[in-house]
Amino acid sequence: MEKLNSIGRLEWFRNKIRAGQEKGKAIVHVCMTGCRAYGSADVLAALQEEVKKQGLSREVEIRSTGCHGFCAKAPVIAIEPLGIQYQEVSPEDASEIVGATLKNDRLVDRLAYRDPETGRPIYYRNQIPFYEKQERRVLARCGRIDPTRIEDYVAEGGYEALVKAVSSMTPEQVIEEVKRAKLRGRGGAGFPTGVKWEFARRAKGVPKYVICNADEGDPGAFMDRAMLEGDPHAVLEGMLIGAYAMGAEYGFVYVREEYPIAVNHLHIALEQMRSLGLLGENILGMGFNFELALKMGAGAFVCGEETALMASIEGRRGMPRARPPFPAESGLDGKPTNINNVETWANVPLIIIKGADWYGQVGTENSRGTKIFSLAGKVNNTGLVEVPIGVPIKEVVFDIGGGIPKGRQFKAVQMGGPSGGCVPPQYLNLPIDYDTLQRIGAIMGSGGMVVMDENNCMVEIARFFLSFTQSESCGKCAPCRLGTTQLLEILTRITRGEGRIEDIETIRGLGETITQASLCGLGQTCAKPALSTLRYFSKEYEDHILEHRCAGATCDAMVISACQHACPAGIDVPNYVAAIAEGKYEKAVEIIRERNPFPAVCGRICIHPCEFKCRRGELDEPVAIRSLKRFASDWYFQHVGTRREPYPVTREDNVAVVGAGPAGLTCAYFLARMGYGVTVFEGQPVAGGMLGITVPEFRLPRQVIQEEIDYIESCGVHIQYNTPIDARHTVDDLMGEGYRAVFIAAGAQASKRIGIPGEEEGLEGLHYGLPFLTAVKTGEKIPLKGRVLVVGGGNVAIDVARTALRVGADDVQLFCLETRDEMPAWKKEIEEAVEEGIVINPSWGPREIMHDGNRVTGIRFVRCVSVFDMEGNFSPTFDEDAVQTVEADYAIISIGQAPDMSFLSEDSRLERALWGALIVDEKTLSTNIPGIFAGGDFTTGPTYVIRAIASGRRAAISIDRYLRGEKGSFTILDEKTRLAEETRLALDEDTGEERPRVAVEVANPEERTRDFREVEKGFTEAQARFEATRCLRCDLEEDGGEE
Amino acid sequence: MKEKDIDLGQLDALIREFQGKKWGLIPLLQKVQETLGYVPPVAIEPIAEALDLFPSQVQGVVTFYAGFSLEPKGKYVVRVCRGTACHVRGGRSILRLMRKELGLEEGETSEDYRFTLETVACLGACFLAPTMMVNQTYFGKLSPAKVTSVLDQYRKD
Repeated sequence: MEKLNSIGRLEWFRNKIRAGQEKGKAIVHVCMTGCRAYGSADVLAALQEEVKKQGLSREVEIRSTGCHGFCAKAPVIAIEPLGIQYQEVSPEDASEIVGATLKNDRLVDRLAYRDPETGRPIYYRNQIPFYEKQERRVLARCGRIDPTRIEDYVAEGGYEALVKAVSSMTPEQVIEEVKRAKLRGRGGAGFPTGVKWEFARRAKGVPKYVICNADEGDPGAFMDRAMLEGDPHAVLEGMLIGAYAMGAEYGFVYVREEYPIAVNHLHIALEQMRSLGLLGENILGMGFNFELALKMGAGAFVCGEETALMASIEGRRGMPRARPPFPAESGLDGKPTNINNVETWANVPLIIIKGADWYGQVGTENSRGTKIFSLAGKVNNTGLVEVPIGVPIKEVVFDIGGGIPKGRQFKAVQMGGPSGGCVPPQYLNLPIDYDTLQRIGAIMGSGGMVVMDENNCMVEIARFFLSFTQSESCGKCAPCRLGTTQLLEILTRITRGEGRIEDIETIRGLGETITQASLCGLGQTCAKPALSTLRYFSKEYEDHILEHRCAGATCDAMVISACQHACPAGIDVPNYVAAIAEGKYEKAVEIIRERNPFPAVCGRICIHPCEFKCRRGELDEPVAIRSLKRFASDWYFQHVGTRREPYPVTREDNVAVVGAGPAGLTCAYFLARMGYGVTVFEGQPVAGGMLGITVPEFRLPRQVIQEEIDYIESCGVHIQYNTPIDARHTVDDLMGEGYRAVFIAAGAQASKRIGIPGEEEGLEGLHYGLPFLTAVKTGEKIPLKGRVLVVGGGNVAIDVARTALRVGADDVQLFCLETRDEMPAWKKEIEEAVEEGIVINPSWGPREIMHDGNRVTGIRFVRCVSVFDMEGNFSPTFDEDAVQTVEADYAIISIGQAPDMSFLSEDSRLERALWGALIVDEKTLSTNIPGIFAGGDFTTGPTYVIRAIASGRRAAISIDRYLRGEKGSFTILDEKTRLAEETRLALDEDTGEERPRVAVEVANPEERTRDFREVEKGFTEAQARFEATRCLRCDLEEDGGEE
Repeated sequence: MKEKDIDLGQLDALIREFQGKKWGLIPLLQKVQETLGYVPPVAIEPIAEALDLFPSQVQGVVTFYAGFSLEPKGKYVVRVCRGTACHVRGGRSILRLMRKELGLEEGETSEDYRFTLETVACLGACFLAPTMMVNQTYFGKLSPAKVTSVLDQYRKD
């Protein structure tokens, strides 16, 4: 390439390239930067070969490019001008891509992006949801041009901005334009770039320097890397323009050596610039001199701090110094120096060529333009995202990012790496901006966004960041050197189960001190992750310290296995799964019953927190723990039966339990096991509580509940049916009858009313969820015909809808406030309901029940815009102009339940909370009256069965302690069963073969709604044993030391 | 561990290339590290002299930056990423597996100078978490099986 010594020559050069580009040629853009880690080099080679083989060398160009952004689907290729994107391409696909698409315009289904809801293929890039909400301005050329060919950059208009700036604008005008554009430092600090340039321009001293901070050290950030690898000239051109504006003669790009491809592409770029005369003396004959060199970082995060960076360039230890003087006054060699981040520089050519007005069309009042984020962690669409500043966080994580994989719950998103804070769910609607995030204790940072889900522990995350900053602390100033070490030590102790309650205040105070007293940004921000997680997840810290509970089930010291830890009842899951694998089903049930006397019930309707935490789920699918439990217990009842020897009564004291639901019966069962005489008082003629009267037959057959109850009675528990505890027979009376302790587990069975006009008692056709389900389950005839509207979005509402369908309704429509994703009902239940023909209408709120004075005629709904406010409180907002009235024959309200306190009115000594619920000690479940305990749904409100069961066992332990005179509180820790099964299951196998989860068979949707047959069929023995061997036996893992 | 032999002539040539160069210490050390696999302690004095620095200054820089090692490294430097995204996606268990497979702790080199195990705070390939690098090659979306197969490749060489 020959030197271009005038603007005219550059134009000529550009035109020559453009002319040389053959029109009508198809170009296949193969990402050879990030995708290389996933084999794109082989894909490129295969494509090149195929093109040659199929004789298309004149019509097709295979181009090596930078990042397309959708890194989750690597290797990614794009085909222009068709606008197609193919994903997860392997070398073997090459012949079809060339033969079908390039030769014959036929699209290859299996290589296209699949819509996660519908499964249909989306071939065109601009239709893929990942790209729809992005505004790729800075990344426009990335993925289109070959970054190792300056010709590509020039052909796309590269260096036009430089020409414009140098030949038609004064340096002051350039600075003014950058100021007008309101460009703020993209490295994270957000200082107005134009202002900073002005300082450098005005400073005295020669020569002046400009530096590009390409030491992207934030773990989780890879925006700069992609930019340098994919479109390095954009950055370099920006530096030249800046140099002109500030009067700088020399420049450095300080890039970390851990980015070998970036280093390589920068080398090539600089060489090509030099040979074209775009660097050196008299660039393009414009009288502008500038030399640019590459400096590589040697592995120190702190060198991302500007003064440390400059020290490193000078060959010294990367230790920051105090400012002032700022680099603009005195930087490299004591001369005026301007340092900007990679992305900041890359924005400059756009501002110059398109103007500040265009630039400012997107963004917020104080921060214009776009920002590039690297989306990573527990999110479906990981990759590089460019959005206008001000876009809500939710949009990036869910619309662009595609939400959390494996149906897990969003927990927080870490923004700004180790200098940043976490954003909890309640702030998802916040716009991403420098200023808004600061208010909640986070920062926008350099752009790293790492998403975390329910299986991450926030305390551990804080510890993780501290271990990073502690090791990267340069050591110069005491607050950072000593402070990071102390914070790390405290956080490590907490994750090891050695935390003390004072630690929380210590972290706050220490964090404050380190922030205020540290010399540089590393120390000043290192406490942010800890302080931020403490602010929004203080309960997790407390639980670690006081209860040895880790919400994410990751802290090894307190977690035997994640599944057991996640189970509210603490069942030793791995051991019973292993027992099933070994064919020892009775043993499996015995292990379960050490914590839970309702294995068959839970095997059908448990929400299975264990499966959400199952580590096997990280590899492929979680172990089907719930179905395994069902298999073992079904087998037990078939082969062993419901009878057993009652547990011997060894203790003198008798205990009364009010309510024969899951909580009450569990408490009674464990008390019996401990040798107490227990009597359960139940107002209904049958036991089971909510289980028995409201969970529909097609989910939980009455027979199954009865078997469990029969077993529990066999254990020695006496149930008195038709014996309610109320005004005539009070809790006090029970104490008088000789019961030394009483456990009240009366459940939560009163239906909540909405409180809207038309919701009148006695209105024909108006029903409430629970009474409706009870009526059906107890055989009452409720002849539903025509259209039924169900109001509510939870599990009960879904049960109601599905039951309505089975008792004769022709058309069942469900309306709820929440969006489909926000619905609290179990996803599986919603899907089964939809399969059966129930229509879900999300985001509608009921305003009025229409009636003719006698019976229901319909409901008027108003569009619900949001359910929760910015703080996460239930505070629905509506669009009053968007209404619809739906005609119907029946309306069933199912918006929630509450405990029915009326039966306790005589026992006024029991302390109540303001809203009427009983106050109990969280750990001992004791009320204010010694000997009277309460738990289950009665005190917590409606919740999952397994939580009620756990509450029942806690009550039994607590009552036992009380009766033996033991004072004070207690903690229930995970324990291994004494019936351990040592087989290593999946770990023993060394095959690479796939072992996907066994699918549970489900009854045909068209047929099953004819009656109340069980929808889900259990595993066969063969299926169960196979599934059980998928378990990784996390409980047998030795802790191989700390990171 | 067997002492590694250094080609003093090669070292000399490298140092002379940077003789008197302004701000040349780190680039020179990087060259030495790249060529010899480490910065031999015997190189510190000649380097100091060539750049008109005190040996303590050179030593200070060598020990400050993670990229320099005073001990020889293996032919294959395995860098397991312990960055946020990798961490969040189970990087710890990959590291544990690595330590077991190679029989090395972090920072250690195998007897035969074939492997060195290190961790890096972030490799910048977060979308492929969990990741690792062997010399200049990235490996992503690691699973226990993939780790073993990658190591086997390098063992055969």
